[in-house]
Amino acid sequence: VTREPRLPRHVRWLLRLTRVPRDRRGEVQDDLLELFTVRLGDRGRLRAHWRLYRDLASLSYRRLPSALQRDPRPRAAVLRDASGDLRYAARLFARQPAILLLAILGLSLGLAVSTAAFSIMNAAVLRGEGLREPGRAPGVLKASERFTSTEWRYGEFLQLRDGATRMQVEAVLTEGASVRTEAGDGPGPTTNLGFVSGGFFAATGGRVALGRVLDRADEQQLDSPPVVVSFVFWSTRLNRDPAVIGRPIRVGRTTATIVGVAERGFSLPNLRMVWMPMSAFGAVYNSERLDGRSNASVQVFGRLQPGVSLAEAEAQLSGVASTLPVDQAASGAGDSRLRAILDTDTGLGRTAGSARLAVAVFVFVVIGLVLLLACANVASVLVSTAITREREMGVRAALGASRWRIVRQLLTESLALGAIAAAIGLMLAYWALPTVGIMVEAPAAADIAPDVTVFAFLGLVTLLTGVGAGLAPAWHGRGADLVTPLKGEGAGRRLVAPRRLRSTLITMQAAVSVLLIVMATLFVRASVRAATIDVGFDSERLYAVSATLSGTGNDNGAGIRAFWARAIAELQSVPGVTAVALTELTPFGDVTKTSIAGDGRNRVVVHLNRTRAEYFETMGLRLMSGRIYTRDEVAAKAPVAVVSESLARAYWHGESPLGDALPEPIKLPALPAAAVRPVIVGVVADAIPARLNDHSAFAVYEPLDPSSEIFARLMIRVAPGTSGVIDDAVQRLRSIDARADVRVASVAAQLEQETSRPRMLATLTVVVGAIAVVLCVIGLYGLTASVVGQRTREMGVRVAMGAAPGDLLRLMMWDGLRPVAIGLAIGIGAALLASRVAVSSLLFGVSPQDPLAFGGAAAILLTSATLAVLVPTRRAAAVDAAGVLRQS
Amino acid sequence: MKGERLGEFEEFTLLAVRALGDNTYAVPIQQFVEEATARPISMGSIYAALARLEQKGFVRSAMSEALAQRGGKSKRVYTVTASGLRTARDLHRVRDRIWSAIAEGGRS
Repeated sequence: VTREPRLPRHVRWLLRLTRVPRDRRGEVQDDLLELFTVRLGDRGRLRAHWRLYRDLASLSYRRLPSALQRDPRPRAAVLRDASGDLRYAARLFARQPAILLLAILGLSLGLAVSTAAFSIMNAAVLRGEGLREPGRAPGVLKASERFTSTEWRYGEFLQLRDGATRMQVEAVLTEGASVRTEAGDGPGPTTNLGFVSGGFFAATGGRVALGRVLDRADEQQLDSPPVVVSFVFWSTRLNRDPAVIGRPIRVGRTTATIVGVAERGFSLPNLRMVWMPMSAFGAVYNSERLDGRSNASVQVFGRLQPGVSLAEAEAQLSGVASTLPVDQAASGAGDSRLRAILDTDTGLGRTAGSARLAVAVFVFVVIGLVLLLACANVASVLVSTAITREREMGVRAALGASRWRIVRQLLTESLALGAIAAAIGLMLAYWALPTVGIMVEAPAAADIAPDVTVFAFLGLVTLLTGVGAGLAPAWHGRGADLVTPLKGEGAGRRLVAPRRLRSTLITMQAAVSVLLIVMATLFVRASVRAATIDVGFDSERLYAVSATLSGTGNDNGAGIRAFWARAIAELQSVPGVTAVALTELTPFGDVTKTSIAGDGRNRVVVHLNRTRAEYFETMGLRLMSGRIYTRDEVAAKAPVAVVSESLARAYWHGESPLGDALPEPIKLPALPAAAVRPVIVGVVADAIPARLNDHSAFAVYEPLDPSSEIFARLMIRVAPGTSGVIDDAVQRLRSIDARADVRVASVAAQLEQETSRPRMLATLTVVVGAIAVVLCVIGLYGLTASVVGQRTREMGVRVAMGAAPGDLLRLMMWDGLRPVAIGLAIGIGAALLASRVAVSSLLFGVSPQDPLAFGGAAAILLTSATLAVLVPTRRAAAVDAAGVLRQS
Repeated sequence: MKGERLGEFEEFTLLAVRALGDNTYAVPIQQFVEEATARPISMGSIYAALARLEQKGFVRSAMSEALAQRGGKSKRVYTVTASGLRTARDLHRVRDRIWSAIAEGGRS
């Protein structure tokens, strides 16, 4: 047998260093060998070698194109492969419908949750309200040495607008009013209105889907004012009627004409549904028309002219502002001149970025956890099929399939799964979104329907999940062993690694489930607490009225005092109004005044309020002992105070505080009279006046100083069983001073808003937590069932060796539950950390280490895991030893 | 012409493929060109010329059926395309015209 001629080994090695692409190396090697052989015969050994090295050298400075590049497989072939892969996947799925259903169920639940969560976050945080180039549209703040305010008087705005040349200055006044779309009597639903100056749409960049925007000419339109409605309003209240332009709608006390429908996504500022010209303000509220002397507060913003910097515009606008008269009554005598501050982070409903970020991060973490779970679940299902498919992969590899080809098959399968799941998930999300919207109390004006961003998100996530879930079994199938699987018997040997992988997946799922259940339980308990929390007074039929008067305000507050005096007198004659009181702070209003009492370690929040004597009756706070301060004491600014019950208990330990001075540790802001500490004359029932999560009902009430009445608000209590009383009352208030800017807020609504935040988080985490447990149980069941199936033979042997069914059951149960137990420990640790660090500020009256939440979570997980393991295990324990052994 | 020009070495290679009959491969081409030009030709330059010719569409290559030679391995075989042939002929004609002009001038 002649040896097959070959190039010297070092030449073959040198060939690798040349620039010949790998796929052509064999070809080149054969050519060189042939030439070498010929030359060896013709010209002798030396010449042949010399020419061989020359050829080698020539190959290393010329690049030879790759055969793959020059000879691409027709693109159709790749597609044909892909469709083959798909067909194969379909046949495979059809053979294992149960596994397929489990995987799709898990994945579509995960995708539905993340799509819904993302839609809401998209609407609430990411999308914004349609402001074009926000960096060029700053809010205009009013500032002097003593104060900074976001609101200007309407008259001041007109002067700013006329004086500004470097930017377009516009204003908006946000209000609510009843809007009715059909003819008839009675009020319609209260709708967010924006009264806007003429250039509002031009300055914000708002466009319309139908009709036209409002412009400067509309400011002159007094009868039947034109309105632009939002896309959401058009969709929900007008049924997307294309012929809506020109239709009359009833807004407040006037009839307006629809001239335009804003494009989708435009709702500046703060979810407006209807925009009208400012000039329509008087008609809507049946008050006097806004003009240069009006006192209504408006928010001012601007759009910088092209090429003008923020600083230039600010300097010019401050010049205009400095000519405006300073409101002495509000800021105190001797304040400096006004100036304008341009701030691109305020105005037009923009909120501080950090608040948005916190919500976004929370939602993204939840989405991430759910997807991780869904991914782990599908991966574990696919790994279980991969084990049984080892033989198939072996055959494929033996027939010459490259590793990439096999991985592609697996990826095609998991992507197909992902696509089916995404379709189902999208349907689930669509179906669930309105419900979710109601659950999280999305405002009616918010547009939470999925848009392009949401679809893109879903697509990306599906792709990631599909690839992620497909790579796990592919990784397991790496370095495919050609021989063992073909022999058929050896499969058992390689079972250890994938089982460990799947156990790790189960551990992860269990940990995430526990984390989510603990969070869900904490939030549910917090929201139940928040809903049932006794705020100490009846917030129903309680209203807070604020008023800003017209006039120059140079009367040192005399005007507002007269207004309040008349208001109280008028309101007491309104039937149905049971009590009226002036107070500095209203419950759950925007402003709170607190004092920190005690030394560093024992800090408690004490709420301070200055009120008229009627406040306690209006609020419905019961007098526990002593007396309320009298009207005379209020008028005389007497140094007396009323404290809340829990404060009295904390500082006097059951003794009566009456007649004592207010304890030193409670700091008081500059006392009105001499620095005499007020004497306590009475104790009233506890009430929670401000933030629900303060956990503090410590309160000190002092008489309202008449000179502070300019800051005061009016509380109105309406008798139960009456209707329309508050409208009547507001009508009377407006009739006192038609130019006054009177606004009414329902305390019940403010309390509702305060309690809605934990409810939203509770709803979200409960749904997600429940899905997490379901996913975990599915995964565990699948794992146990497949492990039991693979260990049937072992069980048979054990039974033959004398193991009782109980022993087998115990063995299998422990094997199945071990990853869950480890996951439980990890999850509890993570939950302890998360609840302490991240969410304790959102928990109302619930300890972050609430034993019920942690115990409950552990119990739920262990119970469901035991069930998931028990069902398949019982089947294995009843194994027929003789049958199994005979089979093998 | 398609705007693709032939270099001298490329022309030799192209003509060699044609001369050797279609379905020839790199080794005979190298030997042919080396003999015809009487100068040593490296394999690297042959491969490069063939690659350029193929890129320009003057030859095409394919892997042959397995043959008894070379241990039954298949090899890359080259064929001159119609456009390759046309280009070579055009070049030849240009040269002929120039030479005949020289002949008429009686300078040779």
